[in-house]
Amino acid sequence: MVTYQPDNSYYKKLSILGECCNGLAIVYLAKHVPSQKLVALKKFNMDKAKHANLIQQEVILTRQLQHSNILPYFVSYVIDQEVCVISPLMEFGSCRDLLNTHFIEGLPESAIAIIIKDVLEGLDYIHKKGFIHRALRASHILISQTGHVCLSGLRYSCPIIYNGKWQKQIHSFPESTMENLNWLGPEVLEQNLQGYNEKSDIYSIGVVLCELANGTEPFAGMPITLMLIEKVRGAAPQLLDSATIPIEENDEINGYTLNQANRRFSEGLHQIAALCLQREPSHRPSASQLLTHSYMKVHRRGLSLPHLLKPAIPLSDKVAYNPDEVADLETIQRLNDLEISSYEWNF
Amino acid sequence: MPLFGKSQKSPADVVKALKEAVNSLEKGDKKAEKAQEDVSKNLVLIKNMLYGTSDAEPQTDIIVAQLAQELYNSNLLLLLIQNLNRIDFEGKKDVAQVFNNILRRQIGTRSPTVEYICTKPEILFTLMTGYEHQEIALNCGTMLRECARYEALAKIMLYSDDFYNFFKYVEVSTFDIASDAFSTFKELLTRHKILCADFLETNYDKVFSHYQRLLNSENYVTRRQSLKLLGELLLDRHNFSVMTRYISNPDNLKLMMNMLKERSRNIQFEAFHVFKVFVANPNKPKPILDILLRNQDKLVEFLMKFHTDRAEDEQFNDEKAYLIRQIKELRPIADH
Repeated sequence: MVTYQPDNSYYKKLSILGECCNGLAIVYLAKHVPSQKLVALKKFNMDKAKHANLIQQEVILTRQLQHSNILPYFVSYVIDQEVCVISPLMEFGSCRDLLNTHFIEGLPESAIAIIIKDVLEGLDYIHKKGFIHRALRASHILISQTGHVCLSGLRYSCPIIYNGKWQKQIHSFPESTMENLNWLGPEVLEQNLQGYNEKSDIYSIGVVLCELANGTEPFAGMPITLMLIEKVRGAAPQLLDSATIPIEENDEINGYTLNQANRRFSEGLHQIAALCLQREPSHRPSASQLLTHSYMKVHRRGLSLPHLLKPAIPLSDKVAYNPDEVADLETIQRLNDLEISSYEWNF
Repeated sequence: MPLFGKSQKSPADVVKALKEAVNSLEKGDKKAEKAQEDVSKNLVLIKNMLYGTSDAEPQTDIIVAQLAQELYNSNLLLLLIQNLNRIDFEGKKDVAQVFNNILRRQIGTRSPTVEYICTKPEILFTLMTGYEHQEIALNCGTMLRECARYEALAKIMLYSDDFYNFFKYVEVSTFDIASDAFSTFKELLTRHKILCADFLETNYDKVFSHYQRLLNSENYVTRRQSLKLLGELLLDRHNFSVMTRYISNPDNLKLMMNMLKERSRNIQFEAFHVFKVFVANPNKPKPILDILLRNQDKLVEFLMKFHTDRAEDEQFNDEKAYLIRQIKELRPIADH
């Protein structure tokens, strides 16, 4: 077991992997010097954070969950105005990254099946421990170089146990969740007296399935109010394939690629998506019920996720080593931080 | 074996089995592995009695009352907390959930568990020292905050010597533990207004000399949180006499004026909310007035340029305009 110290000097930043949390945090590829292990170092700028409490909440909650399909935080510490969180490196990045770079029309179905099963295992654990995730989306699903799938993004989650009781319905609307609206269930968006429960995460699973399969998330680019009306009306997003894409008489495929119009997802995948996306929360299966669905039981012998994700290649210090970039960014930050106030008090 | 055999175990049986398992876990003998399993299993049984599961409702009040009585009589709550570090990861969380549920128990207006803990304050002190151990700190934190909701328990904690350890806990290098400790610390100092005001008044020197260290902490998060809490404490009308005392000390004013210039915008903003109290005070002691007068022009100029981008925050802008006016109008007290 490697011990990760809450001390910045133990981690050497190798390159910048990207921004996350709306530009609030930067993720670095870093090396834990004592063990020479590669890790992901996420640095939150607390002075920019409007909802600093959300970051605290996320770190504290994540530290209290232990499941192989939930991204663990090894340690967290404060340096200057920033909070750093060390977690395992997920070499393939997020599913959103994969969709953006190599799978614009969506991931292959066998990859989706493997990913969603792992996601459901993690989600089932979260629900059993009394939390609702509330931000399931491709960018919160991470994949390691061995094809291990982890769920992240617990910043938006909320407890089901409240006032010493297991609540049947939750009414609180997640804070600063603008960017997650497309994935949320209609009952969460309605914000009415009936509230919502963990079944809303199942709706989001349905949206994520479509996102992974289609390459773009359902309702992308749609005005928020229209998206809300569509969802409340019960219009369910769909997996785009020959079964769902209408072909016009003049053989024109509107807004879809030829590939999407010609491919065919299995009946099982269509079924799972339809089950998750039902308008009535109580009709949706729970995460543990979904895991017993026959589709999940299909043994995908010999199929490894890294293989299915080709041509995407996992990150390593060889492909990503770029200390100049890190140095540049740090110089810019230092310049920004320079004391410009010239006031000297006279005590 | 009957189909529902396990759930039909009586509260007395489960408590007895759990106690035996924890005892043998404590001894760490060769049966420890089995003991670990038994602890986890019985904790889940108790938790399910209290919370129910996805397919079962919580147990009836009578069963819960029996369970609570068994827990008091067997002294199991303390034993569980003392051995928390030996219990496995999920078991630790189950202990906290069981504890928090039992704590909320009510008979009419009485809270029997609170009364019980008052006779066993060791439970509270053991929980407080939990912050010194990484692996149980967050579990102890959730139980402590639940305890702090009850005035009688908050009082025991506030007036104990152990309370001052919080000044250390809120600054530990691990961010999640420090943040959690701070939430508990804040809860203790703000939840019960009259109790808190009395406490701060009687222990003013000791508390604020410790508090000063937090405000000067090298840890940005600690500094920001403690400054924000200071503002909340001073502006709470229950703490009027504490506030009066605080804003009579020129060192405190100097600190706030320096914090107004810190490079963190959040710290500047929080410092503003403390600084305004010094200026708004109609009876400024001479040393305070002198400092403000010596910096009169600079302060006015500084405040004119201070956070001008907060155009929508009406209250802030009103307060700023008021401060500027007040400072402009400051005149030395005529010497007699």
